[in-house]
Amino acid sequence: MRKIMVLAALVVIGIVLLYAVGKMPPMNSRNTPDKTHVVPRYLNEGESEGGAKNIITGVILNYRGYDTMGEVTVIFSALCATIALLDREKRKVSRSGVDASGVRASVIVRTVVRFLVPIVVFFAAYMILHGEATPGGGFQGGAIIGASVIIFTLVFGLPESTRRMPLKARVPFESIAMLGFLAMGFIGIAFGVNFLTYVLPGLHGSLVDTIRSQMLMVIEIGIGIGGGLVFTSIVLAMVREDEYELQPDIPQP
Amino acid sequence: MNWVLNLLLLIFLVCTAAAAILIKDLLAAAIVFSAYSLLMAILWTQLRAPDLAITEAAVGAGVTTVLLIVTIYRTVRKEE
Repeated sequence: MRKIMVLAALVVIGIVLLYAVGKMPPMNSRNTPDKTHVVPRYLNEGESEGGAKNIITGVILNYRGYDTMGEVTVIFSALCATIALLDREKRKVSRSGVDASGVRASVIVRTVVRFLVPIVVFFAAYMILHGEATPGGGFQGGAIIGASVIIFTLVFGLPESTRRMPLKARVPFESIAMLGFLAMGFIGIAFGVNFLTYVLPGLHGSLVDTIRSQMLMVIEIGIGIGGGLVFTSIVLAMVREDEYELQPDIPQP
Repeated sequence: MNWVLNLLLLIFLVCTAAAAILIKDLLAAAIVFSAYSLLMAILWTQLRAPDLAITEAAVGAGVTTVLLIVTIYRTVRKEE
């Protein structure tokens, strides 16, 4: 009976979805609103209006700035929820690896990770700072920073990771993404224009573009550092190894 | 030639998506899901969306996989 009900629900959902797909305009159609209005606007005026050579960065930070700020808030809320559920990580027991076996990662893995992590962080910095002109940006760079710290933690263990990136050093910067974004938004209000407006009145000539690109850069760096640290803190809060204290029979590595 | 690559990627994408649901070993499912994200990242570059490809590779294949694996280590490995 239950299976029949599930099947019926799936069939109904499938019919609705297929009907919706049938109503969509054909692929590569040139008469849809996004082809006649949206794409030409972005391609022709995105660089001058958005203030970034990479039009996607201009769209993300300028045309849909509120949306991006909502996403940053979501990431920060995820960190708050994780910490509320799991508490901050403890730093007492010294064991390597995320699993309870107490076995150190092999020398090959450790050497490769030690060699690779600085290059990955360097690439992330390039991605954050160069996101204005090439694909990538703050969020991508932050995710790569988070991934590099996660790899390091999985191989060398939580104590080594928290020694390199202590909690005291992470906490002040975790909210920098949101605070930087809000600060740049309120600069517009201070100059008498709308929230998240980067083109400030009262400036002339090339100063407008310079100020705008600097503001976008502050937001990108904020999202990069803040996002990376939020990813790091979520994972470190999840892999905290305090429960190993309850298993004294595991031999020390 | 490009459509052959795209077709192969799409076939593998569907296979990995089905495998991620069907496999009972959650650790294997997490790894298969990571492979799904990597294929999706290649497809994004084929669709000329490099920004999305970078995000998919970093978040989908990297961070999400680790979060899933850590969750499995802190709970149980086998699905009921």
